[in-house]
Amino acid sequence: MKIPESILKKVQKPARYTGGEWGQIVKPREGMAARVAFCFPDTYEIGMSNIGMRILYDVLNKCENIACERCFAPWDDMEEQLREHKIPLCTLENSDPLYDFDIVAFTLQYELCYTTMINMLELGGVEILSSNRKNDDPLVLVGGPCTFNSEPFADFVDACIIGEGEEVIVEFTNLYIEHKKAGFDREKFLHEAAKIEGVYVPAMYKTEYNDDGTIKSFEPIYQDVPRTVRKRIMKDMDKSPYPEKFIVPFIQTVQDRITLEVYRGCIRGCRFCQAGQIFRPVREKSVEVLCDQARKLADSTGYGEMTLSSLSISDYTCISKLTDELLKWTDDEKISLSLPSLRVDSFTKELMDKISTVRTGTLTFAPEAGTQRLRDVINKNVFEDDLYRACRVAFEGGKSQVKLYFMQGLPTETDEDLDGINALCEGVIDTFYNTPGRVKKAPQVTISCACFIPKPFTAFQWEPQCDMDELLRKQQYLKGKIMNRKIRYNYHDATVSRIEAVFARGDRKLGAALLEAHKRGMRFDSWEEFFSYEKWLEVFDACCIDPAFYANRERAEDEILPWDNIDIGVTKEFLLREKHNAHAGKATPNCREKCAGCGANKLGGERACCPSLQK
Amino acid sequence: MLSEPAKIRVEFSKTGALKFISHLDLNRTVQNAFLRSKLPIWYTQGFNPHPKTVFSPPLSVGVSSECEFMDFRMNEIVPAEEIVQRLNASFPEGLRAIAAYEPQSSFSQIAWAEYEIGFECKEDISAKIKALLSGPLEVEKTGKAGTKTVDISPGTELLDCGYDDGIAHLRVLLSCGELTFVGPYLLTGCISDRIEELDGAECFVHRKAVLLADKKTHFR
Repeated sequence: MKIPESILKKVQKPARYTGGEWGQIVKPREGMAARVAFCFPDTYEIGMSNIGMRILYDVLNKCENIACERCFAPWDDMEEQLREHKIPLCTLENSDPLYDFDIVAFTLQYELCYTTMINMLELGGVEILSSNRKNDDPLVLVGGPCTFNSEPFADFVDACIIGEGEEVIVEFTNLYIEHKKAGFDREKFLHEAAKIEGVYVPAMYKTEYNDDGTIKSFEPIYQDVPRTVRKRIMKDMDKSPYPEKFIVPFIQTVQDRITLEVYRGCIRGCRFCQAGQIFRPVREKSVEVLCDQARKLADSTGYGEMTLSSLSISDYTCISKLTDELLKWTDDEKISLSLPSLRVDSFTKELMDKISTVRTGTLTFAPEAGTQRLRDVINKNVFEDDLYRACRVAFEGGKSQVKLYFMQGLPTETDEDLDGINALCEGVIDTFYNTPGRVKKAPQVTISCACFIPKPFTAFQWEPQCDMDELLRKQQYLKGKIMNRKIRYNYHDATVSRIEAVFARGDRKLGAALLEAHKRGMRFDSWEEFFSYEKWLEVFDACCIDPAFYANRERAEDEILPWDNIDIGVTKEFLLREKHNAHAGKATPNCREKCAGCGANKLGGERACCPSLQK
Repeated sequence: MLSEPAKIRVEFSKTGALKFISHLDLNRTVQNAFLRSKLPIWYTQGFNPHPKTVFSPPLSVGVSSECEFMDFRMNEIVPAEEIVQRLNASFPEGLRAIAAYEPQSSFSQIAWAEYEIGFECKEDISAKIKALLSGPLEVEKTGKAGTKTVDISPGTELLDCGYDDGIAHLRVLLSCGELTFVGPYLLTGCISDRIEELDGAECFVHRKAVLLADKKTHFR
């Protein structure tokens, strides 16, 4: 069902809804064994920047008998038009409504997109509750980092992919094709799907609660369904599928460039960081494979910019060789290289010279905490001197602006640590003035402070989040401390962080809140123009849910956590050990220095950093 | 390698999904296509090399066209047919190169554009359109200095008007002059506002030709 032109003329950025970009894959409607609508619960510009979606779109469409089409959340002006004209939400490729597909897949990248997913299901004509779906209704499959705790949205989805989806999404779809041929029975299919490694089917498990609301037991309802679901990884990243073609959007997206994924995982063990744990073990791609992928993508997309992507790019063992190889041809082809987030301890002049073609004048570092004591607590193994040294390199290279990321509300944080943030910024400014050969203009230090959100599968998964008043006080306190006008202080909205904290460590009881929020028309919670803390408090109130139970309660170490049935390789014992190290202010060396015994090596992996995996 | 880069003008059409691409996004799309085509395009020599591409009068979002123009420079002589063929191999659907040549006139000489306009309508209202377009056409124009009422009839010339198969269609010349410029939506808005049968009707606009001041010579 094509959107009429009269509607496209009325909305902002109509190219969000028309498809037809370079690189799009359109397969015929008829003759496919299975059709998958791959949905991203946010706008086109955000969704098209996601590398996971690009990979899986390519993987599925490479299967001859499977068609994968894209769908994004319509902005409110388009949603209004769709509702007014009773047009269902459709995919871009063939303009088919979501209800027409065999599988409706969502990638869940952040907690605040859950309401948008539910809204998209409704707009696409798909029954929103899993338990109400009929035999012939689409299967709703979700993946992405949020599925490591799928409990809050368990009521709305049929199956969850845990971990990396390249293989398992095909296995799931092929199982569906088999069952469809034999006469599809939803219950039977889901029962079988739950046995695929890396697939979690929430309806196959039953939770019982204690009187205080904590979990009493969490059991599979069938004997042959695994008690714990182990995440999937791609063992050999050199052999892991990577698209040779990208869709090139017409309109500017957030990541409007070639993204070259260099490696997965992270050798660092920052204790607040979920990505650093759930993507373990570290698995690198070899320089040869990366160069080949880069070349093919440059030729097929015509992008003038390429970014090397990973959790901490300067930790790539062959970073120097890789950039050398790429720079041999990128300049001639009018392609500039860029690097995301840099670590201060591995940022060198050599690296900066290589990326001097980047267009922004700002470098970004993430010290995360203001004092060495607190940086030891969070295991951010960087020192004040590392930061000043890195800044000096940047200033010598002609930069005058630095952006620093911090977190507020970290466990054990005191006002002294907040003072430390200010002192660190002052130190950066002094470094600027003490750098010979600096540019003749005033320096600018922009600090961006996020509120700490305890996440599942981190050493801080048991920690309470600071309550609202305390978060707000901390923000005001630091604001009052910063006197230097060369320091610009930005901070996240604490109310948003609190709602995120509720859903990050939520259980199935939160399904009622998501349903209620949906009924009240809530979606796009990650957008300032739509997020309303008051509305969320009203929703929790209406559902008799206490947000503090999820956000601000310290968990006992023996409590059953909603995500305990998921096995990410890293053990709970290791995380607990890390929690104790945190409170003792003891840092843990990174994976390359010394194995900390996290347990992820049992998953295997080629070109991994675990000493026990190196052959 | 030429000592002085050669100026090239490419005539192209913009239809289908491409109608909904803004001028700025068209520029980005073309830059990507240039890199894919591997044509020896000349790039600026600065810190941030880019092809100096100049596009013909901007097209309103939602309007299709078969007479768009872009100028750029090339480091080597490439036969016109090859330029057209290689661009088409790199253009997304909806963008089609028609011809490539050395520019004959400058963009400032463009005086008129011919449009085909169609309104979905159950009745033949061509007589009403003719009547409307024979008199003054006062419309509200919002600019930097606020809203003012202007008469767009001096910049509007009806060539033809008819009705078939549920579509009322007209062909018009609209001025591209700096001071007398008339955008097609200014005219379609004015028509659908004043003819009640067209209230809320779906409307299609297509740019057919770009002409010089004599209203005959095609811009090249």
